[in-house]
This record gives sequence, C-alpha cells and structure tokens, in this order.
Amino acid sequence: MIGHIRKTLWRLLALLAVLAAVPALADDPPSPAELAKIRTGNAACLACHSEAGLKKPPKDGMDLKALRKYLVHADTYAASDHGQMACTKCHGDGYDDHPHAAKAREELSECQDCHARKAMRIERQFDKSVHAENLSDSFTCATCHDAHTMALASKLRDPHKIVAQDNKICLDCHDSDLAFARIAPEKKKRPPIDDIHDWLPNTRLHWKAVRCIECHTPAEDKLSLSHEIQNKDKAEKKCATCHSANTSLNARLYRHLATEEQHKYGFINSVILGTSYVVGATRNPTLDFGLIILFAATVVGVLGHGLVRIITTRLRRSKKND
Amino acid sequence: MTKRVFMLPLWIRLWHWSNALAITVLAVTGISLHFSDPALPLVEFSLAARIHNVTGVILVGLYAVFVIGNIVTGNWWQYVPKPPGIIQRCLRQMQYYGSGIFKGEPEPFPPTPETNFNALQAVTYWSIMYLVLPAVIVSGLIFLYPQFSPDTLFGLDGLLPIALVHYLGAAVIILFAVSHIYLGTMGPKVSSLFKMMFTGWYEH
Repeated sequence: MIGHIRKTLWRLLALLAVLAAVPALADDPPSPAELAKIRTGNAACLACHSEAGLKKPPKDGMDLKALRKYLVHADTYAASDHGQMACTKCHGDGYDDHPHAAKAREELSECQDCHARKAMRIERQFDKSVHAENLSDSFTCATCHDAHTMALASKLRDPHKIVAQDNKICLDCHDSDLAFARIAPEKKKRPPIDDIHDWLPNTRLHWKAVRCIECHTPAEDKLSLSHEIQNKDKAEKKCATCHSANTSLNARLYRHLATEEQHKYGFINSVILGTSYVVGATRNPTLDFGLIILFAATVVGVLGHGLVRIITTRLRRSKKND
Repeated sequence: MTKRVFMLPLWIRLWHWSNALAITVLAVTGISLHFSDPALPLVEFSLAARIHNVTGVILVGLYAVFVIGNIVTGNWWQYVPKPPGIIQRCLRQMQYYGSGIFKGEPEPFPPTPETNFNALQAVTYWSIMYLVLPAVIVSGLIFLYPQFSPDTLFGLDGLLPIALVHYLGAAVIILFAVSHIYLGTMGPKVSSLFKMMFTGWYEH
C-alpha cells in the first residue's frame, strides 16, 4: 500500500517537473548550429513529403496517392510555431526508416505531451463547445490546428494574417459540403454559411476583417481566446459589442497589439484603425465634441433669434397700439 | 388683401418632402451608428445599419430625380446666383436676418415665380445640393461597397477618409437642416413658407 502511494507521489512529482520544465524548453530557441542540424534532418523527411518529392520521388515503388495527403511546405513549416523543431520530435519511433513502421502512427506524440498545462485549460473549455457536443470522439486538436502551419497571433501580429489563418480553419469545413460531411454526424446537413449569417451586413467582408471566433466564443478567458466554440444560440449577435468606443476587439483580435499607440491622430482605438475602420469604435472624440458643440450652438442660435423676433414683434405691436 | 402666386410644381414639392424624410431617417440612424453605445442605443445597431443602407439607396434615387427634374424643367437655373452684386445681395440678406427683421423691415428680396431664391439661398442651396450632398452620397456608396475604398492611407485604413467625408458632410447637412427649418418661418407669416411647400402657392 505504502509502496503504491510512494509510486503515485513519484509520478506526480515527475509530472510536475515536466510541467515546470516544458515552458522553459519551449521558450528556448535552438542555437544556429542546432537549428542547422534540425533543418538537415527535416530535409530528409521533406525529400519525400513535399511537392518536389511527390514530383520526383527519391525511391521507386512509393505509394504516391498516400504521400499526397502528407505533404509539408518547407517555408510555411519554418514560419510556423513548430518551425524550429525536428520532425522526429513528434514523429518518433517508426518514422526513422522508409517504409515507416506499420504502427508508427500510434507512436505520434500528442499535443498535450508538450502543451500539458494549456491542454488542461483548453479541454475544460472544449468540453462545453458545440464541437464536443456533436463530435467529441473524433474531434482532436489536429482537426483544427495543423501543427505544420499554425502560428500564434502574437507571432503573426498583422490582424489580416491572423484572420486569414484562423477563419480558414472554420471555413474549410463549414464552407464545404465535402469536408463537413467527412467529420459531421451522419444525418447532420451543413447549414449554408452565407444564409445563416445574412443578418450580418457585408458578411464576407466581416470574415476578412474579423475571426469567426470573435463572435463564436465567450470572452471569459483572460490568457487566450476560449476554445468553447458556440453555435448560433449562444454566439454574440450584438453589433455594439465590437462597434462601440469600448470595443471587445481590443481584448480579442487586437489583444497582442495592446502596447501600441492607441490614440494616433486623436482617434480612439487607433490600433484597430490601422487595419479596419470600425463604425462606432474608431472615432475622434475631439471632432465629435466640436460637431456636437456646433450643433448645440446652431439650435441655441435659431431659438435665440426666434425669441428676439417674438419679443421685438410684440414690442412693435404694443407701440402701434399706444 | 392676400395675394396668391403659384411658385412650386408638384414634382418639386414631392421630391422636397421625400428628401426631408429620407434625410431625417438617415440622420437619426447615422447618429445611432456613429455614437453606438450598448448602454445607450438610440436605434439598435443592426437595425440602424439596415435602415440606413436602404434609406441611403432611396436618397440616391431621390437625388437622381432632383438632378433629372431640374435639367428637364429648367429649374436648375433657380439655383444659380445671378451677377452682378451677388455678394452685396447676400450681405443685404444677412443684415436683414441680423437686424432688419427685428425692426419689422420688409423682406429685401421676396420670392417670385422667376426668382424663387434670394442670393444667399441660391448660394447655400447650390453648395448643399451640388457639393455637400453628392460628397455624402458618393462616400455613402463606397461605405456600402467598402471593397472600392483604398486599402490603406497614411498607415490607417483606407476607409477612414471616406468615413470622414461622409461624417463631416452629414454634419453640414444636419446643421443646414436646422437653419433651413428655422428660416422657413421667415415668410410674410410664420406659416407662409411651410404652406407654400405643401400647396405650391405663395401667399403674401
């Protein structure tokens, strides 16, 4: 019994050590020499797993139909969050030689092997999501996040690039009957994406300017955007949440630009104005105030003029009567 | 005895009141959109956006009626201030509004079927109808189809100058509307000019 408790305690300690060490490891970029070694190693994989490899397979008798499904673009991978990692970091035993071992896929590292803390937080959010509700068994991190291409918003910085990357994930399935049918429950028909959003003015332009998750996730998570993807019943439908001076876009799409100048040329939310003019949010309070004063002055002016007219008319009438 | 003279054909009166209604709706919804605040909604944002867009398109149609109607009937000539002495007549009109009216002086340039507007009116109406309103309409159409705006300008979104033209132009029109309604009380009687805008007859 005591032995069992001791064993469990050691396991817990080991887990804590791993949890503490992982962020430090992740933050530590490889030295140039290490990176060169990684790139050389990865080049061996890309010799087959690339467009060039597919066109000119280095070996005869390869299953090109299968290979086509597993291509990686070298530059996109290098720019991604995992771009400085060796392929073998995730694709472990069984992938060293070709043909790869039959059970190699089973040896693939899981995301939570490195992202343990994040995964725990995200899992709680994901469990409440519409994806978990309908597809909990088949839906994994990789269903949305391609580890070979994804880049963090803080790394991309340009909101247009962030939007393009993130919306592609949603639209790849939700704007394609074929892709949707591949993972959706059998009887579930894909709702036409434009029709269900027809209440949103300039729908497709919105999708170029903001992410689907701006409206389809709750705003409670302060560390990152929630993975609780919500359906239309719970999603944000109040335009003024973004279209107002206190716009939620600052806590969402533009959160990583919070340190940049917020009042360029006197405009509030001028960081947003760098990429999008958002009615109600990107205003110039000085100009607004000036125009309100001008309006008030005009109204007071005409009322005052009218009052003087009434008084002088009455005075003239009473003089006439005298 | 009251004299009656016919001044305004039906198409101008219909256009004027339709235009006035459209401008009022656009002003209220436009203010709701620009000063959007979840705590203080004048008109709820998505509803305001929809009404503003539809009314904006109606205003484009009304503007086309105005321009074509003016060309066909020759009414455009009314809007052209006629020299000589435009500035002097404008100053004389301003002096009337500033002091003459308080002393019971007569209107210096009363409307006639040949000359509907005094010089100040002609200059103002021409500027509003042929400079400010077209700017608001064109910028509004670009707002409706923002893909036609420039991508960026001076490091900010290209829609910003369009938005500023639309906002400032609209502000000028709202200020004009306030003064215009008030100046409508300056006929022989307070109600004379309003009555003329409905019946077409000027009574004096």
